[in-house]
Amino acid sequence: MSGPSLDDFVEMPDEVDDETAEQLADQASETQDMTGEVCPYPQVEAKKSIQSLDSGELLVQETDHVPSTENVPRAVGDDADARVWRSGGGLYRIFLRKR
Amino acid sequence: MVSNVLTALVVGVGLGVFLQKGRFCFVHAFRDFFAFKDSRVTKAVLVATTLTMVFWSIAYALGYYQGFWTPGWGLTGLVGGFVFGVGMTYAGGCASGTLYRAGQGYLHFWLTLTFMGVGYAAFTAAFPTLESAYFEPLTVGGGVTLFAVSPVPAPVLALGVAGVVLLAYATIVGRSAAGGAGGTDDGAAVRADGGTPTSRGLGASAPVVGLRQFVAGTRAYFRGFAEIDDWKAASKRPWDPRTAALGITALAVLWFTQVSIVGVTGPEARWTGYLLQQVGVDVGSFEYWGSVLFQGQGVGLTVDMIMIAAVILGAFLAAIWSGDFSVRIPKRRRVPNAVVGGFMMGAGSRLAPGCNIGNIYSGLAELSVHSFIATAGIIAGVYVMTHWIYRDVGCAI
Repeated sequence: MSGPSLDDFVEMPDEVDDETAEQLADQASETQDMTGEVCPYPQVEAKKSIQSLDSGELLVQETDHVPSTENVPRAVGDDADARVWRSGGGLYRIFLRKR
Repeated sequence: MVSNVLTALVVGVGLGVFLQKGRFCFVHAFRDFFAFKDSRVTKAVLVATTLTMVFWSIAYALGYYQGFWTPGWGLTGLVGGFVFGVGMTYAGGCASGTLYRAGQGYLHFWLTLTFMGVGYAAFTAAFPTLESAYFEPLTVGGGVTLFAVSPVPAPVLALGVAGVVLLAYATIVGRSAAGGAGGTDDGAAVRADGGTPTSRGLGASAPVVGLRQFVAGTRAYFRGFAEIDDWKAASKRPWDPRTAALGITALAVLWFTQVSIVGVTGPEARWTGYLLQQVGVDVGSFEYWGSVLFQGQGVGLTVDMIMIAAVILGAFLAAIWSGDFSVRIPKRRRVPNAVVGGFMMGAGSRLAPGCNIGNIYSGLAELSVHSFIATAGIIAGVYVMTHWIYRDVGCAI
């Protein structure tokens, strides 16, 4: 994932299936409950948390705000690799592994 | 009238679907551009506004239109726009974003809508004072659209403006492509290897490089449709914001030829009056509701009120279809965002007048002088509020 640029429109993180999501959630170094929060607070909190993690550590954000699944990975940019899990019922998990 | 109601339902539900599926968010468009130079939604807003401007200019030239919305211009746009911009950034959703997220099940945005209503009512109560103390001294000239005063035909003017917008965009993209050949996105790489932006990219100048990228990107976008083999599954995934921009443009053209320009907070202010009338308030006796919003024709349902209510319905249907619907309960610490942000949006949209849709989208698309000023005010408000919210992590711009 490259940093923000002016000539791309969509950059969706890879989606993971239910099983992978459970496995990843167990590995989390930090879990943030961002349900009920709207932009830009999940972005701000993700940026703060990623800065405090060590390389290879995993941050999980649980959110019910659809745009966060794109905006949070975008906000941390090159600092972390992002994947997202969709429950199909309006709940999402964003996995950010610090580079 | 029946056909207008039908049009209102089609346009409203359609707008709700496109806004929800494209996550078309004016706060995102400007806030995230300032915060970390994310310009995806900014470009989608630019596409929608520019295309709408071109099509509206043609409809206007051919006489297929119902009227422009051109408030008097002056500092009111700057002041009201600024209040609105701060409010929408703090609330986390603009006038249109609040509507479609309400349909998606966010209680946060129902609260925002409620306090926008409080803002409209407070403004209405203060209107007689504001008229002499605020609007009269700050309004400089009568409302005007450049379409009406331009010596060249409206479509020529619109195509000219669209051309300038495209050229400016291509120049920026071309420069960043030349400078960021190694994957960096600032000009440091260019200076580091001693090159200038124009000396790179096969010797072509920045606008040409940018235009090539624009054409390639547009082609890739349309080719993307040919690659969809499962349309049902694709429709459930999030859509490209450009798809939303195209859909919104088509619906805005239909609305312009049948009813008016697209607005959100005007109809919402009418809804506030209408609902208060239902609980026994003599709404018609307030000057702002009676003679301005309802134009002395009595407090009742109008087609634009039906249209914006249908936006909520459309977003609800789209969210159900995508698996994005759920009743979302805000954290207690976010309640002030909905309450204060909503109130500032309600009051600010009346002080300007107009919201992000009335001014940034419709107002720019009809080249209204007032909306150029109000747009500057809104963007300034977003800028200031973004810097405050991001004070711990910093902004890119």
